[in-house]
Amino acid sequence: MTTTEQPAGPVLEIDDIHLYYGAIHALKGVSLTVNQGEIVTLIGANGAGKSSTLRAINGINRPRDGRIRFQGEDITHRSAHRIVKGGIAQSPEGRRLFPRMSVTENLEMGAFQRTDRANFAEDMERVFELFPRLKERRTQKAGTMSGGEQQMCAIGRALMARPKLLLLDEPSMGLAPIFVERIFETVVEVNKQGTPVLLVEQNALMALDVAGRGYVMETGRIALEGAASELKTNEQVRKTYLGEG
Amino acid sequence: MSEALSRQVQRARTDKSWWVAGALIALGLAYPFIVDPLRDLPLIGDFVPGVSSMVVMMIFTTMALGLNVVVGYAGLLDLGYVAFYAAGAYVAGWLASLHFEDITFHLGSAVSGDLPGIHFNMWLVLVLAGCFTTLVGIVIGLPTLRLRGDYLAIVTLGFGEIVPQFVRNADSVGGFDLTGGTFGIAPIDSLAIGGVVFRQESNKDDLYYWAAIGLVLFTVFCCIRLRDSRLGRAWVAIREDETAAAAMGVPLMRTKTWSYAIGAFFGGVAGAFFASYRAGAFPADFFFQFSVFLLCMVILGGMGSIWGVLAGALILSYLDREGLSTIGSKIQEGGLDFDPTKYQFGIYGLIIVVMMLLRPTGLIPERRHKIELEEGVHDTPFYDVQTEGAMTDRDRSDD
Repeated sequence: MTTTEQPAGPVLEIDDIHLYYGAIHALKGVSLTVNQGEIVTLIGANGAGKSSTLRAINGINRPRDGRIRFQGEDITHRSAHRIVKGGIAQSPEGRRLFPRMSVTENLEMGAFQRTDRANFAEDMERVFELFPRLKERRTQKAGTMSGGEQQMCAIGRALMARPKLLLLDEPSMGLAPIFVERIFETVVEVNKQGTPVLLVEQNALMALDVAGRGYVMETGRIALEGAASELKTNEQVRKTYLGEG
Repeated sequence: MSEALSRQVQRARTDKSWWVAGALIALGLAYPFIVDPLRDLPLIGDFVPGVSSMVVMMIFTTMALGLNVVVGYAGLLDLGYVAFYAAGAYVAGWLASLHFEDITFHLGSAVSGDLPGIHFNMWLVLVLAGCFTTLVGIVIGLPTLRLRGDYLAIVTLGFGEIVPQFVRNADSVGGFDLTGGTFGIAPIDSLAIGGVVFRQESNKDDLYYWAAIGLVLFTVFCCIRLRDSRLGRAWVAIREDETAAAAMGVPLMRTKTWSYAIGAFFGGVAGAFFASYRAGAFPADFFFQFSVFLLCMVILGGMGSIWGVLAGALILSYLDREGLSTIGSKIQEGGLDFDPTKYQFGIYGLIIVVMMLLRPTGLIPERRHKIELEEGVHDTPFYDVQTEGAMTDRDRSDD
């Protein structure tokens, strides 16, 4: 395993995964790739299988068929905590902060699987630089903050793991437009600093604005894929997700 | 600047709490010397517990602190803690009594060398009992801890019944008498230091009492260290939000099993200690009610709070040992024919109900639980329980 990978090489490769919840066939052969340095977005309606895809990557639900490779290694059957340790961090759907922990404690939890203490303070400082608001609120209980601040904290918490791949599940959910914009700006900023991002969104317009490439999911399948700019002009996408037609 | 100030205030508060703790420990250690004058006091004298009651109270406190690791720290409702108490007591029976009379094996024991049966040094037995129950905890925990909430409670309840039933009936396991059946195992060896065998001394209760204080202090020390450890933080994370904890890379099964195993350890040590003090392991002690009794101590004191659980355990075990009967005799002296010991579980239940109404976080609440109940902090709801496209429960103007 080398950490100095080619800039364009694939970080995450999902190859034809099938996921079942009992008898329900939730993912029917999903394949997607995230390359080094990219922001890739996965858009689609409710129940299309976006979150199921993320859960498969995270090791929370195991796909019955197919392979998931991360930095060239097969992680399909790895346990969830080892996947986090391997470098995939996430900001889960609905943020899921620890409501009775302070902001600082939440950020510390993000670094739970890290064994190096040396750069810990530095990383915390970096998160506070990205989100000055969090620094102001660092002793406040996470559950008492507004939705936007909670989302910042959730992303900050994921960054504390020093991820080699960042998964964001609906970061814009339930936020006021001004916060959505700021969150997306930060996502771009984080990506520029070198972290590839897989962004799951319902807010297709915003997501396609920041992403380089995109996948459109429909009922457990990838219906469309391509450069974000192409998807944005695609008639079907415009009709279904951008509220036109 | 205000931060430095608040830190100073906090430090002063911590210093003060250490003083209080030190004073309480000193008072606790001196108790056997002051108990007689205290008992002579007018009015309150009758309510002062004797040293032998205090020994049992300390043992129950140790168990409550152990249960608190499971229930309070990790948030796993365990209704079968009595199983660990039983396991610890029987390990003491196996390793320090005449039970296996065909074997004569002595290891650092204070009893005379020609006595049949296995006789380990009793202090070693305490440790071994803890280790054994830790194993039992892991064995029970691995299959059951995959369950959440109520389901876990039901399964632990089942194990809490299985273990006592097993010891009650294991007097002929393929013809081999493992547990002495309904009679249990007795006598179990006494604790001893050097040549001083506690049970043979005239101040036996005092000696056991000091040992029990040591046990409680050791347990409290471990609980504090655990609470502030990485493992402790992982438990809090699981208690707060299991899914989020998994997303942060907390290994759920391992972390939960640790809480179960560590809780079991203290149950086992305390069980063996109690068996030694009572000189026997009797299956009549191992009933479901006892698990609930310990749980009441934890809830009364404040789940997750070490000092709270200490207080809750001391209060309820005092009522159990002496308090209720003392109160009862006072009532009867007053001419009313009422015996509260007959209604003890009703009374504990009433105490819990009153507590839930007046002070739901317990006598001395744990910081986070207190926040939950008093400041109304709560999890953001799952997306799928919200109506589609709706905002979270927060006001738009908050953002």
